[in-house]
Amino acid sequence: MINPLTAARITKTGLHNFARNAWLSTAATAVMTITLTLVAVSYVATVALNSTIKEVVGKIDVSVYLKDSATPEQIKALKVKLEQTDNVQGVTLVSKADALKQYREQNKDNPKLLEAVNETDNPLPASLQIKAKDPNKLDPITAVVNQPEYKPLLAEREPISYSGDRKATIDRIIQTSNFFKATGLAASVVFVIISTLIIFNTIRMAIFTRREEIEIMKLVGATNWYIRGPFIFEAALYGIIAAFIAIAFTYTVILNGAPKLGNYVDTAIIVSLLKDNALVVVLALLALGILIGTASSMVALKRYLKL
Amino acid sequence: MILFDRVTKMYPNKQIALSGLNLHIQPKEFVTIVGASGAGKSTLIKLLTREEVQSSGKIIVGGLDYDTIVYKNVPHLRRRIGVVFQDFKLLPSRNVYENVAFALEVAGASNREIKRSVPRVLQLVGLSGKEKNFPRELSGGERQRVAIARALVRQPKILVADEPTGNLDPGNAWEIIELLLKINRFGTTVLLTTHNKEIVNALKRRVITIQRGRIIKDEEQGKYAL
Repeated sequence: MINPLTAARITKTGLHNFARNAWLSTAATAVMTITLTLVAVSYVATVALNSTIKEVVGKIDVSVYLKDSATPEQIKALKVKLEQTDNVQGVTLVSKADALKQYREQNKDNPKLLEAVNETDNPLPASLQIKAKDPNKLDPITAVVNQPEYKPLLAEREPISYSGDRKATIDRIIQTSNFFKATGLAASVVFVIISTLIIFNTIRMAIFTRREEIEIMKLVGATNWYIRGPFIFEAALYGIIAAFIAIAFTYTVILNGAPKLGNYVDTAIIVSLLKDNALVVVLALLALGILIGTASSMVALKRYLKL
Repeated sequence: MILFDRVTKMYPNKQIALSGLNLHIQPKEFVTIVGASGAGKSTLIKLLTREEVQSSGKIIVGGLDYDTIVYKNVPHLRRRIGVVFQDFKLLPSRNVYENVAFALEVAGASNREIKRSVPRVLQLVGLSGKEKNFPRELSGGERQRVAIARALVRQPKILVADEPTGNLDPGNAWEIIELLLKINRFGTTVLLTTHNKEIVNALKRRVITIQRGRIIKDEEQGKYAL
């Protein structure tokens, strides 16, 4: 539809105008850069938080402690029953001997605690370690365990443990990370709106300062798209430049900062997200930048450029 | 070449700029339109370049009925009519060559075509050697020559000159008129509007006098009569 020569001329005019309005262009590009960086960082953070949570949640086991009197058949029946229950990913039997071994392993630096237990008088109960698919829905598991036919098998003191107090902590982590995710999303949306408005205004001013030129273009028979083209290209250019700055910033900061955060969040996934999917990240930011630029300039042109 | 058939133009504020105007201009004619300010000269030109649309009547230019033009094709129509204004309307940031080349660029002409046509038309208007000058470095007469060159570079069949000498001293004004006559000799229909009595009387060409949106006089070899 549009021939290459015309496209080249529109591009040239757009570049020229971009350079001519250096200050306006810089301001628009800066806001766009902030926006795109925010979007990138908040996306990366969301991925990292989700992955971290998944990992932490994966560590939650439900332990069902058994009486020493429970026979292997009874235990097996309960195990099979649990394996068939909703939301159960897997069930492992930890025998009294296994439990002792684990205990010793965990406390090998504490001779006093080791003295308190020995093979002949093993106080540790056998248990079934249940891994749930969704740690927020443990009710079906509890319901099975509390059925009358299995209830007698359970240890009297604290028959079910949800990995100690970890669940509460995990709930808090989930809440906090949800808060961060929501904040990131809200900030991204706000900045997308701000940069749209700024670019809208920049183009509006550009139309105003170039009204004489536009009049002449009309006079000599420039088509409407020939007149609009440079403005749209200029706005898209804000997006393109901003995307590259945002990409450079995000990569530098996150890849350098990631090792320091390693103790708190899953940084491996961030690094792999940014490195293995570099092309996708770059294209997505470019596309978003160009989209914001062209969309807001088109609205400004529609509103203020009477052709 | 140009036919206005009972053309009326009423602006949204109910002001009637042209009322039932009939006008017929032959190819290769040189026609001067005179009239006081507000008589309807500018409206006539705006209708010709489709900046305005007539309220009623028919306009046919070069066999093209304006009622059949869709909005999208207006730029193509404008490329067929060269227009020159009193205030030149040159791009201050472009030099003489670029100002003229601009008219070809927007029309999608190739670079080769531009390189071939622009020097030729600059020579025609007598601006060879001034290619690199910017409008601010030129005299009023030279600026108007650039504007004429820009209007001519696409070889339009019609050249409309709207008060082209309004900002020029008599010497420069005559040079511009002589240039228009030369262009007319090459076969371009020229439509000139002016307030300059001496010019009109000296031209001895067809003069159309407009008053309050109507033609009150249309004479071959007319005189300025207002």
